[in-house]
Amino acid sequence: MPFEVYTFRSSGKRLFAGKNTPHFHAVYGIIAHKQTIMQDIQTEMRNRAKELLESKQAGLVVGFTLDEYGKPTPAFITDPDDVGRLVWNDDCVRSRHNLVGCLKRDEVRKLGKPAVVVNAAGKRAFNVLIAESQREPGDVVLIDMEPEPRDARFDERYAKLAMLDTMSREERFAFWKKEFTRCFKCYACRQVCPLCYCTQCIVDKNRPQRIDTSATLKGNFAWNITRAFHLAGRCVGCGACSAACPAGIDLDLLNLSLARAGETHFDGYRAGENPDTLPIIGTFSVEDKETFIR
Amino acid sequence: MPQIITRQQLLALIDSLLEAGTKVATPVARGEKAFFQYLEKGDAPLIDPAVFPVNSTKEFFFPRHEILYTFERQGTEVLVTDARPFVAPQVVLGARPCDAAALPLMDRVFGWDFQDRFYQSRRENTTVVSLACAAPDAGCFCTSVDLSPETQAGADAELLPIDDDTFEVRVFTEKGRILFGGKTSESDKTGRTGAAPDRKFDAAQIRERLQTAFETPAFFSEAAVRCLGCGACTYVCPTCHCFDMVDEGSVDKGRKVKNWDSCQFALFTHHASGHNPRHDQGERQRQRVLHKFSIYPEKFGVLLCTGCGNCVRGCVDGLGIRPVLEEIAK
Repeated sequence: MPFEVYTFRSSGKRLFAGKNTPHFHAVYGIIAHKQTIMQDIQTEMRNRAKELLESKQAGLVVGFTLDEYGKPTPAFITDPDDVGRLVWNDDCVRSRHNLVGCLKRDEVRKLGKPAVVVNAAGKRAFNVLIAESQREPGDVVLIDMEPEPRDARFDERYAKLAMLDTMSREERFAFWKKEFTRCFKCYACRQVCPLCYCTQCIVDKNRPQRIDTSATLKGNFAWNITRAFHLAGRCVGCGACSAACPAGIDLDLLNLSLARAGETHFDGYRAGENPDTLPIIGTFSVEDKETFIR
Repeated sequence: MPQIITRQQLLALIDSLLEAGTKVATPVARGEKAFFQYLEKGDAPLIDPAVFPVNSTKEFFFPRHEILYTFERQGTEVLVTDARPFVAPQVVLGARPCDAAALPLMDRVFGWDFQDRFYQSRRENTTVVSLACAAPDAGCFCTSVDLSPETQAGADAELLPIDDDTFEVRVFTEKGRILFGGKTSESDKTGRTGAAPDRKFDAAQIRERLQTAFETPAFFSEAAVRCLGCGACTYVCPTCHCFDMVDEGSVDKGRKVKNWDSCQFALFTHHASGHNPRHDQGERQRQRVLHKFSIYPEKFGVLLCTGCGNCVRGCVDGLGIRPVLEEIAK
């Protein structure tokens, strides 16, 4: 591995793969046993965070804590004595928050070298950032909570798209019209996305104003489709945008659909599988079969 | 005698309004969430006091997008046509009491030095029926901002649940009387208002502390780190009313439009020179808190917050304004 990855495999407890998966325990009802495992993992995560902060290997640990409703929300820990605020439970396992997305903010960057709690999607996002020269390996300490990712099959990864696949063009257009009507352009989707890192987003440019700032159907289509296109071949499918959308629009459907096209037409390409994977759209090659590029 | 209406009668009333061409807005379920929206064919009104819609009712008075005028070049002349303010009657039904209570607060802003006919016309033509809340959730804090679930402010009438299928109707204004006249029956039963949120902070003390808090103290720095910098809290807020006016279309034909804007965006205060007086998210959080708990009260004598908790529920990172206020009150 070209960058620092910490796993909890040393303790023999695995989060997702093998017999100790949450799924396994849910099926066989070994809930108490699972909870003990979760608590052990939480303790181990807190100890790791404390060690990183005390040894100054990291100035900041980004992990999960619980909000007013008991739901996982990002915590920013700079004091080793505060690591007790870090939480790891079933909801954190299921959470679609991508904590790598927090690292782009100026206010967070100021707090020093970060260590961040990641799942498989978080690691893939970080790999894309490396491939796109936004981060150097070693810039960030990854506290890996999913050392052995569930390796879903192709059809499982894109199962959610079946609903759209069965629709006609007209039905799909009607579906998105209904969804985008609710968009009021708060840009939460952009703000949580680890790969939306433009210092000036196209919607914030007004000379010329390429995308209407209006939250009308036209303006909403323009924004959401432009964002999806800009994430084509880059989106790692973490689902943070869907989870963040106050309007409850499943934006992930757009990105997944483009990811499937990428995987189908570019030799099984998946964004961020490893840091050496070259981005399909942002890469120039003289061997490219298209002549216009030369 | 208390006046009552059954759910069936209420739904029939909504249908007759829609049939007569009146726009009716109520909460509607979409997936796991609920949103206030104008009812369209096939939409089921969700009149349930335990539901907390994501958005507020402000957009029926102050829409997220409104055309102010259109322009068109004709030879060497430019033809400018003013957009006409909204004049058709509409009904907002099932507003939370804290949604309705936000309307008198917005009235002050849009009817102060400049009379905003677009807003005022919508206000005059809208009948607001609130729905008493069942119980506070973890985001509610109306009792901290000089309100309570009993508030009648901004409402023309209120529905108070007696049981699942019956509501007591309390009428407060002439508009309320017109809407419910002849539609209710007498009963000896009265409806209920849910319990008030018990977690409380002292708004007066916060206002006092804000007087000397301009130079970003610790609580705004903490909020800065947690805040995503999206506009969700301001857009679901019933009292946030900032907007931007922009041109759309081309030089030859276009329109001047008024769109919602948010103090949480970096662009909000970005000067043409490149300077940004609110260059950090903490300063933007401070902007929002000061506007609601210091600047507006100084001008109008009341707080610009109804404690509805929409911002707490709407924030993907569980922030909203209350944790910031509680931090200030500590």
